[in-house]
Amino acid sequence: MGSLVLDALGKRYGSSVAVERVDLDVRQGEMVALLGPSGCGKTTTLRMVAGFVEPTAGRVLIGGGDVTRAPPHARDTGMVFQSYALFPHMSVGANVAFGLEMRRIGRAEREQRVREVLRLVRLEGLEDRLPRQLSGGQQQRVALARALVVNPAVFLLDEPLSNLDAKLRGEVRMEIRALQQRLGLTTLIVTHDQEEALTMADRLVVMERGRVRQVGSAEDLYERPADPFVAGFVGRCNLLDGRLETPGRFRTASGALLPCGAPEGAGGDAVLALRPEHVRVAPAADGPGRLVAVTYLGPQTEYHLDLAGTRLLAVQPTPGAADPMRRLSPGDAVSISWDAAAARLLPAAQPDKEPDA
Amino acid sequence: MAALVLPASLLVLLLLVAPMLLLFRISLNEFSPTQMMVEATSAANYLRAVQDPYYRQVLLTTLAVATGSTLLALGLGFPTAYWLARMQGRWKSLATITVLFPLLVGNVVRAAGWLALLGNGGAINATLLGLGLIAAPLPLLYNTGAVVAGIVAVVLPYMVLTLSAVIEGIPRQTEEAAANLGARPMTVFRRVVLPQALPGVAAGSVLVFVLCMNTYASAVLLGGPQFKMMAPAVYDQFVRGNNWPFGAALAFILLGITLVLTVAGSAALGRRYRC
Repeated sequence: MGSLVLDALGKRYGSSVAVERVDLDVRQGEMVALLGPSGCGKTTTLRMVAGFVEPTAGRVLIGGGDVTRAPPHARDTGMVFQSYALFPHMSVGANVAFGLEMRRIGRAEREQRVREVLRLVRLEGLEDRLPRQLSGGQQQRVALARALVVNPAVFLLDEPLSNLDAKLRGEVRMEIRALQQRLGLTTLIVTHDQEEALTMADRLVVMERGRVRQVGSAEDLYERPADPFVAGFVGRCNLLDGRLETPGRFRTASGALLPCGAPEGAGGDAVLALRPEHVRVAPAADGPGRLVAVTYLGPQTEYHLDLAGTRLLAVQPTPGAADPMRRLSPGDAVSISWDAAAARLLPAAQPDKEPDA
Repeated sequence: MAALVLPASLLVLLLLVAPMLLLFRISLNEFSPTQMMVEATSAANYLRAVQDPYYRQVLLTTLAVATGSTLLALGLGFPTAYWLARMQGRWKSLATITVLFPLLVGNVVRAAGWLALLGNGGAINATLLGLGLIAAPLPLLYNTGAVVAGIVAVVLPYMVLTLSAVIEGIPRQTEEAAANLGARPMTVFRRVVLPQALPGVAAGSVLVFVLCMNTYASAVLLGGPQFKMMAPAVYDQFVRGNNWPFGAALAFILLGITLVLTVAGSAALGRRYRC
């Protein structure tokens, strides 16, 4: 059993469902990301672990103990808030020492541990500053230190990087991950930023409208998405509606017949998922495709294509200056191809329906 | 811009300052039962107010009632203000209007309401008598308790609104962070909410204390003829005694003491909590 277990956890507000059902088993020292668009229930799930939201179904277990009905102060979690939530009237030192004080740890040990954790987050010597006298990045590290100093059984991060500028975000991401691994912290992080989730977490939980769509490693989600939502949310993806006509042949809704990686079976609505980097484009005067737009992005170039009424996106390494590809312009005819195995067949998206109350 | 705001500012200044200057001049005059007011420049009225045990008692009563009422309003107002500040959506507007509602009724009308509640034939005594729980009406009216109740009812909306404006600015997440770090609800309040709310506590208390010090209607109507506070005493000198110089001196003593206490109070609070 993991050190954090969510067992059929759910939250309803009246008849509206915030979290349908989350089952998750986080191992000791593992970092799991809850990933999804806003309103998908990831923050509600995190707040149920911290105890700020009372679940209407299921259980939360920390270190094997059931804390579902325990108040926040009785749970051994350390949370870093999106806004940092530093105590504005207390010095950095007092902020960090607060959790130790609540645990009735003596002054000498308290001061020692505050010094240690501030060194860990590279803020030594700033004990006497007030939070408002620090930069955003420094405030963020105080929030980390304040949660870390109590050695929580579960470390909770609620969009911890969203208030930092892009450059700092990359650095802090690596720092948090390094700290988490070094201290062996069981961690749950909430983010809507897929890059953040992919680079930091051991496993990702993709959520949408209160439901878990898929749990897996970054590779699992990117290379073997379970459904069109995951395929589209993690990385970019061409998603084509249609049906499998014969084994290996997919008929799009607009009528084009495309090769796909489904050697068996036929019939039934499906979605063809094709990553842009798997789509090959070449100039061909008699080609079946047409170039709609080209976007030069330095190392890569994006080609927006039309294949018999079906829109496709291709992303290829930018060809050399002498390559004929460089002379392609919108309206030109092109040939379009991909390895059949790269085109994955996914179950058709469920029609939108309200979860029954 | 300066040219545009100048005329109005001057007018306001004139309306505020001129009567004060006039009143101060009057307070230095002398009183004669036959000639009413005699031009003079003397501190005699001030000395009399300070030396006369009667007026010393009036001043002490006023200070005690104002301090007690302010503390009571703070104690009652804080939970309400917190609840109001943390409310969401349309219920919040409704609750705010409910808090404001008493201000739509004048002080005198509200005091009359207390009379109807606390008087010998009032609602409470009538009910208790009717139930046979008491043989004679309880003396609920014409005492310090009735005056304090009346004053608190008047000043509570000011306290609640001032406090809740400040509490609204306290990030909810700082409370959650404290709870997450192991603080029980009372500790969260004492260590996180209250220190951040202190500017509101200071502002609300100063505002309410000033209002309490100048209580008139509640003191007269609910305190009865034996109960004296400063504002009614000033009124008596002007209207009943026709002694304008002494009334003006009493008014300035009230003003001065209120000013000194509020400035000293908020300075002490500000030093202690750097707010």
